[in-house]
Amino acid sequence: MALNFQTQEPARRSPLVLIACLVVSLVLMTIYARESSEGPLHSVQAAVETAVAPLGFIGATGDALVNDASDAVANASADPDTLTALQEQNEELRAMVAQAEEYRLEAERLQGLLAMKDAYHVEGVSGRVIGRSYDAWNQTITIDVGSSSGVSSGMTVMGAAGVIGQTVEVAPGSSTVRLLSDPRSGAAAIIQSNRAEGIVRGSLDGLIYLENISADVAVSVGDVVLTSGLGGSYVRGLLIGEVVRVDGNPGDATRRIVVAQNTSAKSLEDVTVVFDADTQATQGGGDS
Amino acid sequence: MENSAPLVVGAIIAIVLQVVVAPFITVLAATPNFLLVYCMLVAVFRGPSAGFILPFVLGLFFDLAGGGPIGAMAFTLVLATFIVSRSYGALANDTLFMALIMLVGGIVIAEVLYGILMIAGGNPATVVEGLMYRCLPCALYDSLLAVVLYLVLSRFFGNGNTSHREATLLH
Repeated sequence: MALNFQTQEPARRSPLVLIACLVVSLVLMTIYARESSEGPLHSVQAAVETAVAPLGFIGATGDALVNDASDAVANASADPDTLTALQEQNEELRAMVAQAEEYRLEAERLQGLLAMKDAYHVEGVSGRVIGRSYDAWNQTITIDVGSSSGVSSGMTVMGAAGVIGQTVEVAPGSSTVRLLSDPRSGAAAIIQSNRAEGIVRGSLDGLIYLENISADVAVSVGDVVLTSGLGGSYVRGLLIGEVVRVDGNPGDATRRIVVAQNTSAKSLEDVTVVFDADTQATQGGGDS
Repeated sequence: MENSAPLVVGAIIAIVLQVVVAPFITVLAATPNFLLVYCMLVAVFRGPSAGFILPFVLGLFFDLAGGGPIGAMAFTLVLATFIVSRSYGALANDTLFMALIMLVGGIVIAEVLYGILMIAGGNPATVVEGLMYRCLPCALYDSLLAVVLYLVLSRFFGNGNTSHREATLLH
């Protein structure tokens, strides 16, 4: 009824519309590829991402509601006479406990961020994750702090226990953060124990690799990986994670080093955008 | 144009599903693309009379809100709609098999084309990685959704492929 109606009216116009749509798409792609991250198309994109991001929270809430509904169904199968009064009381208590638990978790997360800021002497601004990319090719999150809070493109972003990515698009009230797991990300890094320098990159297979390490350097599982600050894209000396797998031996040009991030971006709710950090103390008398 | 209201309602539902639901039902690296699924369903249900404005607008929304290169998904959806709607118009034989082949074929074409555009647009992955870790898993996920939705919708609305041949001949 709704979808299967047939009309022949668009037939004459459709080739023109088709060509127009394809040409406009190609022109937009070309402009987008050539303009800077502060160009008009990127700005519009950042604004739309910001506007749409809060809708993602409905999904998270819905997920929680489904769990609650499952519990409710289980309770409903019990004897209703004995449960009616208790259920009302239980609902009140459950709401209070849920609220208290939410406050406790929030306090825990914020304490983690504060501890991290103290440990690294971080100057920055904290923000909340308000959205996640739904495009399989983009590993990004949207946070609720932007240029009005001093955030600019290219700043390092940390979770409670380490670097998670970098701001790539900034609007007045929000920013898009490209996660380290995105193949387009790249953080200059250093292995803490032997000071070997390389680049940490994401990949489509979901793993994070440490690349460009000299072939003669011995790398072991458990080695700590920090940002090196080379190139100025990431603040120096912040924890990224540790080596969890080394495929190949020293001297092997095709050696692959897999790094596990210290902070999982999947469950992130709060982050800190780093303006500056004094990390000398945390590096154990590191290099200059 | 007087019959476009149901299409717009469907498009809004697809957008809401994409923004609200899709990020939470990712399986490994595969995130469903409800907008692509919807466009392919419309292409199969409407055949040659499927328009290109709807896929263009939906694709543009996907690009703007999803963070990818603007124009890439719009281009992909318009081209995939053209291929599927015209092919289905020419090949429709009132069988479920043909409808499903067109749906799945269109989704695979769209995911591969989008992957190529992403790699051409600066994603450092190789074509093989793109195919293995994104295009094919996403195409499989989308295809499952599309087949289920097609079976459900065809129960309510019919399979929509009658007179596709006639419409094609009139072109």
